[in-house]
Amino acid sequence: MSKKDRGVTWRLWVVVAVMGFGVLVVTGRLAQLQILDHGQYRQQARLMHMSEETLFDRRGALLDRNGYPLAASEDTFDVLVEHRAWEDPDRAASASQELSTITAVPPEQMVQEVSASEIFEVSVARNLKYEQAVAVKDLGLRGVRLVKSSHRVYPEGNVAAQLLGFVGRDNVGLTGLEADLDATLGGSTGTLQFERDGLGNRFALAASNLTAPVPGANVVLTIDRYIQRLAEQELERTIGENKATGGTIVVVHPATGEVLAMASRPTFDITKLDLTDESKIALYRNRAVTDMYEPGSVFKLVTTAAGLDTGVVGPNTWWYDSGALTVSDWTIRNWDLSANGSSSVQQMLSRSLNTGAAWVAGQVGEDAFYRYVDSFGFGKPTGIGLTGDSPGRVRTPQNDPDNWRPVDMATNSFGQGISVTPLQMVMAVAAIANDGMGMKPKLVKEIAYPGGTQAVPSEPTGQIISPLSAQTLQQMMGVVADGYSTAYLNVKGYNVGGKTGTASLTEGNGYKKDAYISSFVGIAPLENPQLAVLVKIDEPKDLPWGTVVAAPAFSRLVQQALAYLEVPPQDAALVSAP
Amino acid sequence: MATVDKNTRTLPGLVHSPNLPVVLTIAAVIVGFAAMLPLVQSSGATSRAGQVQQLQDEKNGMQARLRELELEVAGLGSLARIESEAKTRLQMELPKETHYIAVDAAPPEDDKLPSRYLPTQRPESPDDSSLADDLFGWLVP
Repeated sequence: MSKKDRGVTWRLWVVVAVMGFGVLVVTGRLAQLQILDHGQYRQQARLMHMSEETLFDRRGALLDRNGYPLAASEDTFDVLVEHRAWEDPDRAASASQELSTITAVPPEQMVQEVSASEIFEVSVARNLKYEQAVAVKDLGLRGVRLVKSSHRVYPEGNVAAQLLGFVGRDNVGLTGLEADLDATLGGSTGTLQFERDGLGNRFALAASNLTAPVPGANVVLTIDRYIQRLAEQELERTIGENKATGGTIVVVHPATGEVLAMASRPTFDITKLDLTDESKIALYRNRAVTDMYEPGSVFKLVTTAAGLDTGVVGPNTWWYDSGALTVSDWTIRNWDLSANGSSSVQQMLSRSLNTGAAWVAGQVGEDAFYRYVDSFGFGKPTGIGLTGDSPGRVRTPQNDPDNWRPVDMATNSFGQGISVTPLQMVMAVAAIANDGMGMKPKLVKEIAYPGGTQAVPSEPTGQIISPLSAQTLQQMMGVVADGYSTAYLNVKGYNVGGKTGTASLTEGNGYKKDAYISSFVGIAPLENPQLAVLVKIDEPKDLPWGTVVAAPAFSRLVQQALAYLEVPPQDAALVSAP
Repeated sequence: MATVDKNTRTLPGLVHSPNLPVVLTIAAVIVGFAAMLPLVQSSGATSRAGQVQQLQDEKNGMQARLRELELEVAGLGSLARIESEAKTRLQMELPKETHYIAVDAAPPEDDKLPSRYLPTQRPESPDDSSLADDLFGWLVP
């Protein structure tokens, strides 16, 4: 081999070595990118090309007992803007201006929201109707896309606000039934992962991963929209006429324990929610189940029930009312400081004599008395299934032996020194109306899942007093109601029974001066009770008597409700058609 | 040896045949079409998938509109609106007295409710009787 050939070979090998090294470097880099760091770059590429969307199906509706929607969801659309698409101020200004004409959101606000955010996409407008969504889509703006969402609407308006409650922006129930039945109403969310183009639109034929959402179930409540509305109207009217601070009306069907109406004031407007106003938080609670009060004389029904059922007294059992009854060095007097001499138990109830109630409780005895108080559901939650279901407060020799004294039973017998909720009180009276059989209060009638309906049965809590005792007490309630002036209590065509109560308003460990709670609890019609109704009015300004304040509301409500429920009136009230 | 001679004689004959360009053109067209086939298939599938997605979007939109209308109907049937219409448009007012009249007639049918909000009825179970059962039932009613 010549010297020249050796030189060529050497240089050739150098070139080959350099190229080989280059190939090795490139191969190594490729190996690093595609093998070693595969996962990292795959994730980056995925983030750039793939999008993930949370899918919601329709949240179930809350329906009244006849299928009318009280709260339902409509499909709406949210507008999402890709952060990068609006980096150019001119493009952002122009696009936001176009969007603003449809969404009515100020363009400056949209631009500010997008520029201030560091996330990939920002929601700039929410709850667009279908036509608005179509208009936004037709704009064809770069980096702007629509996602389906949902909006809660209330076809009956602001009815049963505290009972229904409301949902947050994420469609999760926050208060009331919306929160307590969230798992049933909400269904479950799904996800859609898909490849998208530069405009954010989904590729027609590309990889996608769909987990379908499950729609929520419709919940049929026991509430009747007509009776609920009646209750709210009567409550508003009564509070207004008496310049009261608030009140509650609860209507129950005694035989099933179904709650037909539950209204409290003050309340909030569910159709115009303002969650930023913290002063309104107190309005969200359902006072019929959360708030305790001293029931006053309506509790004499429980005392009388205990007396009748134990057999120690009957309606015509006589006792002597000297106007004062001394128990453990405490003197019990009547509300009007009267002394009535020889009186029957029926008169005790009709005249609402505290001394008589304390005497009956004494005849019953403390063990039996508190056993009946417990059986009627006082001192424990009702089990209605609403958050805040208060047990009330009952001091007994068993649960507070250090502080309980005999005078406690005497005052408890006429509804003082004991705290109950409006729902507890009306359920106790509903049990009397149901021939002594207690029922658990029921708010959900059935649940309609996409595949079928699940009925919710009524649950008896037990025979609290015998049917005979209950029927006797119903008749006694009828006599009590007959004793009230027809100016205050007059349900034309029907016999009703009831009892008034006027109690002082508790404040701290004592009573608030000149502040009362007036109430009326009644059943109708007396022969076959279809309704048990509690009307409770807080702090009426003029006369505090339950007869004057609460009975008229009961009267008007029951008059219309019985006609609505097609409960036939007494034969004497019927007029034959010509 | 004779076969070898025959082959060596045939090949030059085909190469010099006047039909060769036609054969090659046809072959090229076939290969071209074969190559286009996946592209056409892919394009068709993409187009069809696009149409499906578009129809799906339309369906979702119509469903949204339907639900809007359902709620509009529910709103129109609300008690507040009915009372307002009765009082303002029809000049009706609440009765001042209540009279109960006994009539000798059947009660009216229940009001029609917005059925979409009624509980879904459980589908009736399919008829799972066999042909033999049917025949037996037909013979022995």
